Amino acid sequence: MSILMQLVVSGMAVGMIYGVIAFGYQLTFATSKTLNFGQGEALMLGALVGLTAINFLIGQSLGTFWAYLLMLPIVLAFGALQGTVVEWLGVRQAIKTKSEAGWIMATIALGIIFKNVAENVWGRDALKFPSPLPEASLSFWGVRIQPMEIAIVIGAIGMMLAVEFFNRRTVVGKAVVATANDRDAAGLMGINTAKVITFSYALSSMTAAFAGVLVAPVTLTGATMGAVLGLKAFAVAIIGGLSSGLGVVVGGLILGVTETLTGYYISTGYKDVPGLVLLLLVLSLRPSGLFGKATIKKV
Amino acid sequence: MHRILWTLGLLALVVCPFVVTSPYYLHLLVTIAIFAIVTLGLDVVFGYTGEVSVGHASLLGIGAYTAGVLAFQFNIGFWPALPIGIIVTALFGVLLALPALRVTGPYLAMVTLAFGTIVQILINEMVDVTNGPLGIKFSTPLFIDLRQYADTVPLFDMSLKRMKEVEYFYVTGIALALTILVINRVLASHFGRAFEALRDSPIASDCMGVSVYKHKVIAFVLSAGLAGLAGVLFAYSEQYIAPNNFSFELSVQLLLAVTMGGRKSRLGPILGAVIIVFLPNLLADIALFRIAAAIIAGIAVVSSLVMFVRQDENRYRNLVPVGLCVAFFAFSLFLQKITDYKLSVFGMMILFVVYYLPDGIVGFLRKILLDLVPALGRQRHSDDLHGDDADAWAASPPQVQKDAPLLSVDQAVMQFGGLRALDRVDLRVRPGTIHGLIGPNGSGKSTMMNVLTGIYIPTSGQIAFEGQAIAGLKSPEIALRGIARTFQNVQLFGELTLLENVMVGLHHTYRSGFFDVALSTALSRGEEARATQRAISILHFVGLDHLAHEEARNLPYGKQRLLEIGRALALDPKLLLLDEPAAGLTAPDIAELVQIIRKIKDHGITVILIEHHMDVVMSICDAVTVFDFGQKIAEGRPADIQNDLRVIEAYLGGTAVGTA
Repeated sequence: MSILMQLVVSGMAVGMIYGVIAFGYQLTFATSKTLNFGQGEALMLGALVGLTAINFLIGQSLGTFWAYLLMLPIVLAFGALQGTVVEWLGVRQAIKTKSEAGWIMATIALGIIFKNVAENVWGRDALKFPSPLPEASLSFWGVRIQPMEIAIVIGAIGMMLAVEFFNRRTVVGKAVVATANDRDAAGLMGINTAKVITFSYALSSMTAAFAGVLVAPVTLTGATMGAVLGLKAFAVAIIGGLSSGLGVVVGGLILGVTETLTGYYISTGYKDVPGLVLLLLVLSLRPSGLFGKATIKKV
Repeated sequence: MHRILWTLGLLALVVCPFVVTSPYYLHLLVTIAIFAIVTLGLDVVFGYTGEVSVGHASLLGIGAYTAGVLAFQFNIGFWPALPIGIIVTALFGVLLALPALRVTGPYLAMVTLAFGTIVQILINEMVDVTNGPLGIKFSTPLFIDLRQYADTVPLFDMSLKRMKEVEYFYVTGIALALTILVINRVLASHFGRAFEALRDSPIASDCMGVSVYKHKVIAFVLSAGLAGLAGVLFAYSEQYIAPNNFSFELSVQLLLAVTMGGRKSRLGPILGAVIIVFLPNLLADIALFRIAAAIIAGIAVVSSLVMFVRQDENRYRNLVPVGLCVAFFAFSLFLQKITDYKLSVFGMMILFVVYYLPDGIVGFLRKILLDLVPALGRQRHSDDLHGDDADAWAASPPQVQKDAPLLSVDQAVMQFGGLRALDRVDLRVRPGTIHGLIGPNGSGKSTMMNVLTGIYIPTSGQIAFEGQAIAGLKSPEIALRGIARTFQNVQLFGELTLLENVMVGLHHTYRSGFFDVALSTALSRGEEARATQRAISILHFVGLDHLAHEEARNLPYGKQRLLEIGRALALDPKLLLLDEPAAGLTAPDIAELVQIIRKIKDHGITVILIEHHMDVVMSICDAVTVFDFGQKIAEGRPADIQNDLRVIEAYLGGTAVGTA
């Protein structure tokens, strides 16, 4: 029983990371019906920039914890900038020409370029990210939890709540929601929807970069860390529904826990398989996702 | 033109091994042919139906590994592996396409991307079956042993090795030729028209009984089958396969090949295959890379100069890509070791193609050629097509029960959030009548149409057509039961000709399946000929036969509405729903329209007519139902309706009528 609990708890942390990345997909999908196929690379770049920043700050004789906190705004700003670049180079033109293939291929291409550049700047080896919290596990009723895993769950939920709060309570946020509901109508009401879409990309990459520095202390960082995470988040976004904030949290938890269970009871080699199986199952049974709303076609 | 290309191509195929004596280059040609089979198949999905697959390298891998497992585990050779590889890969295609294509959006791209990763993991993990990361070795088969003739007919080097290479070259060449033949036939058939129609207007396709979902799945499965064929050929050509042969990067390269070569053509994907086969060589050798970059920059600068000389209006905007090309050349000079930045260069190529070559090299050249020789653009058609009104109708008039209502709606409710667009509406339509639906804008008329044709599923209530419940059925099923419609905002297949638009409506008359089309059987040719004759006759009936080969998007608005009616008639409907057919028409056009509607009724087709032109409604309708705020407020003969107080109130407003 305690093994099962242990697996569930470990799965939750990684599941929340999937959830945050999937949340990033939702942000841009809501405003522009497009998403960044290089989202995993946004996460990877965030983690690597964070690594450089935190090492610099530690070099200034700051403690790891304070260095980590100071590094966060740098990473968030970098993420926002990176998202803006992706929207500007990869998506804007394709939205204008209404070419789905255009934005898919352009964001994939940008992802490939980012990964290649990262390989050349930070090297091909996986790097250790300094952990801001003690690495010794805490024990609750026989279940061992790393403090950083708790931080991941809290940080992920905090980030999503912050974005939701922003969308509901601020003028800019309401422009985002309006654009998500009906881009044409929002445009006619004087909202600069192109800017809103750019903004949603900035926000999306920012959450991904944040997820990068959250997950980095418990895994290793490197140019290849993003690809698989970005892919898993696709599964989560579809399982939870591309339109439901609650969906990605639940979807992320389901996928994270299923993976650790598969890894333990079947084989670690197969732990990536249930993601695809769940993905295909959900699409067959409930195409709009477990929590998504079916869209109404307009004629 | 096509005949010449075919002859030249086949001739080149036959002659090639005699000219190309280097085993390296012959192998390169084989590789190009194999990748061309994949890219041609990918183009059916990507170019024609507009869906993006990022998993074609994995499908290629499944074909290759099917051959591998058969050889490695069961000692089964090339010929049995070929059909088995195609079938297994096609089945994987079904597994992916059935769920991923149910919804519109980027789902296929997401699912295939995930699939690609999983396939690589599985091949690596299932060591017992696939030999894991170590890969599988093959030996190239010898198909016909000609060594005994080495002395009598010494055509070329008759060593065993060379003979195997040459024979394998011919086998792949034939496979490529057959692939092109099958794709040409499928795209020219009713399947091909369906692929193009569903991209232009998915809703109209569904309402013509051409299920968007079903045809997207067919396209993807065809494409997967071709990838499987290429996979088997690839395995035996390379003589060694390993999981990392079939990476994500290859999938992206295949997409790049189709886009860069040129979508929706045969030449484009083949050209793309040539490019991606040479790409690794190009990206491995810095000197070669610099030369290529210089050539591209040179072409860009020259074309820009030409534009300035010709005072082209786009000459300034064109400076950006030209500048990029030159900058790219400078970058190539600056670069010391290209291998480190290979993927970045590859990524930049994709961005450049997406931005500046969306129609690909073939599309670009075609445009230039058409600018120089406009005559090539005019397609020649056999003018022996003559429409006859008598042929426009189904062989027998629709069989309907005369005494029972054809359509009966009971207590239909359609709720959108807080809005009740239809509020417990009853409707009875008698067979053989023209039934008008009128009411102010937003009163629920068009919602009713959408509920009747399965675009919306009613929140509650029953709909019976010929006594059978249809609420909850999908649009294509309802269409095939005999309900056709036109749309308030015209939904034509813009890039298809008028004739093809009507022939999409005739899709239901075809019995020939995929294999009939691929083999061009008598059944499929006969059906195509009959459908063409029927379509031109329908166009004649609506007065558009002289424009049969024009693209639908070039028609003036009024004629587009007539074409929609013609397309709907092609479905052989029992019930025809016309949604504001007279909107935007001039007075003479309206008179013509009224004649057409009357004739439709004379042929036993029941009509429901939504219209704001009251003179039209009052002159041709047998019965009229009036809607207001989602409710039925009146029903009866036109004359009675005109005097109904509630109707007058709904149209003119105010409460005076009630109290006066």
